[in-house]
Amino acid sequence: MAGFAAGLLDAAVRASTVFVFAALGEIISERGGVLNLGVEGMMLVGALSGFATTVVTGNYWLGFLVGMAAGAALALIHAFLCITLKSSQVISGVMLTLLGTGLTTYFGGAWVDRSIDGFPQMTLPVVGEYLVELPVIGEAVFRSTAPDFIALALVPVVWWFLFRTNVGLEIISVGEDPETADTMGVDVFKIRYLCVLLGGAFAGAAGAHLSLSFSQLWATGMVAGRGWIAVALVIFAQWRPERALVGAYLFGLLDALQLRSQSIDLALDAGAPLAGVVNPALDFLMHPTIMATYPYLATILVLVVTVARFDDSRLGAPSALLEPYSRETD
Amino acid sequence: MNVSIELEARDDVPAWLAYGTPVFTVVGALALAAVALVALSVNPIAAYGTMFVETLTDPFGLRQTATRTVPLVLTGLAVYLPLRAGLWNVGAEGQLYMGAVAGTWIGLNVSLPMAALIPLALLGAGVAGGIWAGIPGYLRAKWGVNEIITTLLLTFVATQIASYLVRGPMQGGMGNFPGSALLPVAAQYPTLPVLEVHAGFLVGLLAVAATAVLVARTRVGFEVTVVGSNPLAAAQAGMSTTRVYLFVFLVGGAFAGLAGFNEIAGVQERLRPEFSSGYGFTAIPIALLGRNGAVRVLLAAAFFALLFVGGSKLEVAYGVPAALTDVIQALVILCLITAEFFKRYSVALELDRGDEPASVEGEPGGAA
Repeated sequence: MAGFAAGLLDAAVRASTVFVFAALGEIISERGGVLNLGVEGMMLVGALSGFATTVVTGNYWLGFLVGMAAGAALALIHAFLCITLKSSQVISGVMLTLLGTGLTTYFGGAWVDRSIDGFPQMTLPVVGEYLVELPVIGEAVFRSTAPDFIALALVPVVWWFLFRTNVGLEIISVGEDPETADTMGVDVFKIRYLCVLLGGAFAGAAGAHLSLSFSQLWATGMVAGRGWIAVALVIFAQWRPERALVGAYLFGLLDALQLRSQSIDLALDAGAPLAGVVNPALDFLMHPTIMATYPYLATILVLVVTVARFDDSRLGAPSALLEPYSRETD
Repeated sequence: MNVSIELEARDDVPAWLAYGTPVFTVVGALALAAVALVALSVNPIAAYGTMFVETLTDPFGLRQTATRTVPLVLTGLAVYLPLRAGLWNVGAEGQLYMGAVAGTWIGLNVSLPMAALIPLALLGAGVAGGIWAGIPGYLRAKWGVNEIITTLLLTFVATQIASYLVRGPMQGGMGNFPGSALLPVAAQYPTLPVLEVHAGFLVGLLAVAATAVLVARTRVGFEVTVVGSNPLAAAQAGMSTTRVYLFVFLVGGAFAGLAGFNEIAGVQERLRPEFSSGYGFTAIPIALLGRNGAVRVLLAAAFFALLFVGGSKLEVAYGVPAALTDVIQALVILCLITAEFFKRYSVALELDRGDEPASVEGEPGGAA
């Protein structure tokens, strides 16, 4: 059982990285007051461009950077439409997801059967050798790929950036009350552009991690709703990076459970009472296709619980989220 | 002295801009998508010729466009109605699948003459789609749970359920291939005379008419519009936003459910996994283009149906992936919201002489 738990934990940690990247990016963007519903599309674009770059150059680090840049490029459209042109953030975001899906399906066909040498498994440099010996969590946390370590390290970095640096405080003030921030001399437009671009780069990183490190392949539509789960995760996390990490592990665990469902056997003995009812029900609930719905259902459940527990003011959403900012010129 | 960009809200929209917007939107989207064609070394002019001119001048192409319009207009209405109330249904695709599952199940398991079986299957499909959209509608109305996320996520759940069913309990008739048995003839749409499209076309037209009447002529339609434009005023006038939110999602979802069964009974003849070409997602741009009325939703649906048909023609003729249609759809809306900015604001470069009293106005790069 310890072996199974360690294996499951290992798989959960690996599956959580993509949520960590995407949710951190979304937190930065929303903290600045701009909802980005294009994450799913930006992740797809990051996944494909990173993969293609790695196939051509053989350099997965370059692929990872190109993936980030591609995510940021799509985010630039979002920033221009929502910040400069004051368009609806919802429309722009949903359409960018559609655009990203369309573009990657359009250009991705040629890359479907290609293989790469992606990010290798490694122990965390310097201290990893010793920490890997820790029971249960050792292997899971300290033997991984480079993007897994980067994502984990980014959680405190983003926390520190948002809550302990001047730029971070400017971001939060712009997301809460852009008029006042503007009066205090904060360049609202510049800060919002920065947030949206960072969010896009993080989404691109999430996608590149998916194709270069997690799956090490490109498949059409491979993000499979993870971008939307990340958007929901931000609400669950109440716009705080450290809570997003908890949520990411939760969803990583669900992903991992589904992949390992075959090895789980909970069926009762044929003679046991209720076996006739319980076993078919378990067969249904543990069917891989049905288990694939659990992350989505869990996301909805978590959303309902989070939103029902707090009223709007205590949930912690940035007050100016969804509101374009215009300077009053008269 | 600083150069700054001044935006001024327009009081009224000049005529050339009002009429130019749709033209700019479509031409702009096609021009941008041409880049994707050139990237695959395809001549965009020849490609668009194939897509539009050949489709529209060929009776078969026209019939195909009419057939494709049906699921698009129904899912388009499924997005349009909540949009009237200020809500987003981005999960029409899932509601469509649930409708297809329920309708197909009824078609396969109930034996009745056609005149009773098809309406019963449609009813089942509508109820299934309505419930599937009703869940996010209820969560939104009751607790304010973001309906964009929930409708979208339930789409993944719906497609997985359909996929499970056609590989398990509903699998039949095709060896081990995933798919249900063929619908009996009594559950399949007959072909309409003259038009030569399946009878589900009428369901689409009826839905448009019903929605137009509902929105323009009924009390509940009026409430939907008021809640959509000003929820606070609606509440003060004693209207229940909860009821309106539930209503638009139930009815919208029912339309998407009808689209699902229509597609099986009119085109597919059996339920297959992934039988829909993303109609429920295309529904979002359709509803945005047609947000001023149900008839406009129909026009937008016909336009996107033409894109779909032209897109598959292009795939056959030039080997261009059909996903080009998705790219064009997204670009149409991105161009539309760009054009709307210029309808709302007039833009002028101005020299700021700094004659305002000490204020933060006129900071360099203020309007980024």
